Amino acid sequence: MSILRARYFDGQRSIGHDVSVILGSGALKLVGRDIDLHFDSRQVRVAPRVADAPRWIYLPGGGACALEDNDVVDALAREGRFARFLHRLESRPAYAALALALVVAALWVLIDRGVPAAAEQVALRIPPATESVLGRETLAALDRYWMKPSTLPAMRRAALSARFHLMAEAARDLPPHRLVFRSSPRIGPNAFALPAGTIVITDQLVALAHSDSEVLAVLAHELGHVAHRHVMRRLLQGSATALIIAGVTGDITSTTSLAASAPVLLLQAKYSRDYEREADRYGIALLRKAHIPPRSFALILERLQAAATARHRGGVPGFLASHPSTEEREALAREAATH
Amino acid sequence: MAEGESASSERTLRPEFTGSGAEYFRVWVVNLLFSLLTLGIYSAWAKVRKKKYLYGCTRLDGDSFDYFARPEAILKGRIVAVLAFAAYALVGELYPESRFAFWGAAAIAAPWVIVRSLIFNARNSAWRGLRFHFNGTPGEAARVFLGLLAVTAVTLGLAYPWFVARSKRFVLEHHALGSSRFGCELSTPAFFWLYLRALLMQIGLLLPAGALAFLGVWALRSHESLSVLAIALPALAVYAVYAVVYGYLQARTANLMWNGSYGPGLRFSSTIEAKKLIRIYFGNIVAVIFSAGLMIPWAVVRTLKYRLSCLAVVLEQEVVHEADPGFARVGATGQELGDFFNLDLGL
Repeated sequence: MSILRARYFDGQRSIGHDVSVILGSGALKLVGRDIDLHFDSRQVRVAPRVADAPRWIYLPGGGACALEDNDVVDALAREGRFARFLHRLESRPAYAALALALVVAALWVLIDRGVPAAAEQVALRIPPATESVLGRETLAALDRYWMKPSTLPAMRRAALSARFHLMAEAARDLPPHRLVFRSSPRIGPNAFALPAGTIVITDQLVALAHSDSEVLAVLAHELGHVAHRHVMRRLLQGSATALIIAGVTGDITSTTSLAASAPVLLLQAKYSRDYEREADRYGIALLRKAHIPPRSFALILERLQAAATARHRGGVPGFLASHPSTEEREALAREAATH
Repeated sequence: MAEGESASSERTLRPEFTGSGAEYFRVWVVNLLFSLLTLGIYSAWAKVRKKKYLYGCTRLDGDSFDYFARPEAILKGRIVAVLAFAAYALVGELYPESRFAFWGAAAIAAPWVIVRSLIFNARNSAWRGLRFHFNGTPGEAARVFLGLLAVTAVTLGLAYPWFVARSKRFVLEHHALGSSRFGCELSTPAFFWLYLRALLMQIGLLLPAGALAFLGVWALRSHESLSVLAIALPALAVYAVYAVVYGYLQARTANLMWNGSYGPGLRFSSTIEAKKLIRIYFGNIVAVIFSAGLMIPWAVVRTLKYRLSCLAVVLEQEVVHEADPGFARVGATGQELGDFFNLDLGL
């Protein structure tokens, strides 16, 4: 038998009573001034322990007791093994440090491996046609503000298209795709894959390339984005990381959580670089299948880099960049060329 | 004589927080780990545990608060909220026009979400063995939140302070401890003056902050990572100004709200200093960024401690509150939807 000091509330009136809790075999007694209550201890529920916050005991009939001495309650309450384990983890700084290390590791695995792998699996199961509305609207918006119709001769466009489709045939299982030509002095020499497999190439890029192979090398890279469903995966990964960040930073006011969401930008940049690497590898493999020298990719990357440097001074630091460094990408292409 | 007696019988209760940031950190990190390992399922249990700690360590007149929501209810709510979020994020992105349908649905659901969220939280909280209650209705929430928001939009934002005052009052006056209803009388002109001062403050701060950011970019114009700095510096300046004005408004609206609130035999008093709250927010932002989020528990406890230390309950007479016999259980879906879509009710 043991006696504990507690505050008793009857659940009807906001009056606290100082009582002694007497625990006997199968019975719980509360004794205080004007209080003498008996309960069957099987009907009494003890709240799980959370650190050293006061411990609540819920009594049949709506009353409750708050106890301050958690250790004594622990000795008496038959708590589940998980509850005891949880409290042990929460109560020692060394375990908290271990939990912290595991949180960092779990977050890293989740963000670096789990989210991309899950997004890929899901994306491959969503038909590409779901992107068509978004694809149409994105192209229309670009046409309205950034791009003009191509000024390349129709013959030239037809020839490039023919070679593009010949190359794409070398790849099997490509989702639907199409090539469109546009002129855009504002965007400059560039090509990009829009939702639903639309690949846009600018006249400025065609002009920059010294051979058709170089143009095709860029298009092979863009087909890599289409084949790997990067548009859909970007959407999926964006939502998944937003959920994770919301889960981690859940309980702070909005100003601070805005600060905590800065990592979202870094993550998006990281995922974007991963997509580029994947598209590079795909493009180089496709070039070899279509018997186009992978060296063309290194050459056009070099020219694009030179053109970009001439257009803007400076750049962004590596961790914010949307693409891997040109040196890294050229090395990949040159290595492929020598094999 | 009678007056002297009533003045001397007034008793001021100050809530205090008896936990610590270190202790809360340990609870937070262990529960975060389990949430991650179970891919979010455990997060419902984690939420209850964290709230139980924060409520349990908050004491008023010597007795602590209690929070006892059922994690299963929260988990169910979270599943609905995650599905709604995923649908919004994916369908909204793929079919941009569907956003309008989502916003329409959100506007219709908002009053229900707000009310259910307040009810769930109130009924699962207690002090001295008495549960809190919230008895506002979705219809009234629609009038306050949708109706007044529409008025705010029509008046190009001029009515916004009025909207803030009305929504704070709505939240407070429908709360009760047991059967003791709280009340709230707010002076609308005070809210207009407050927002006018905040607006002037924002303009007054943006000018020097913008000039400073411009000077920074100018001084670094030959530096090679200029393109990043050219965006980052002004953004940082705007963000800092935003944080200052946000802190100021938080402090002053909390004071106005609590000073206008009362219950049977008691009234509240709040004396948050805007300067101190802003300093706390800045400390939190810097700490959270430089610790990659690890200092969040510390920031939570620090802010809670300060806010509680500024709040007082003035008892004009000793009143015994009684339980409200009409009690029914509610689900947590409304609350979780509100949390996910960032409905900040700011109490």
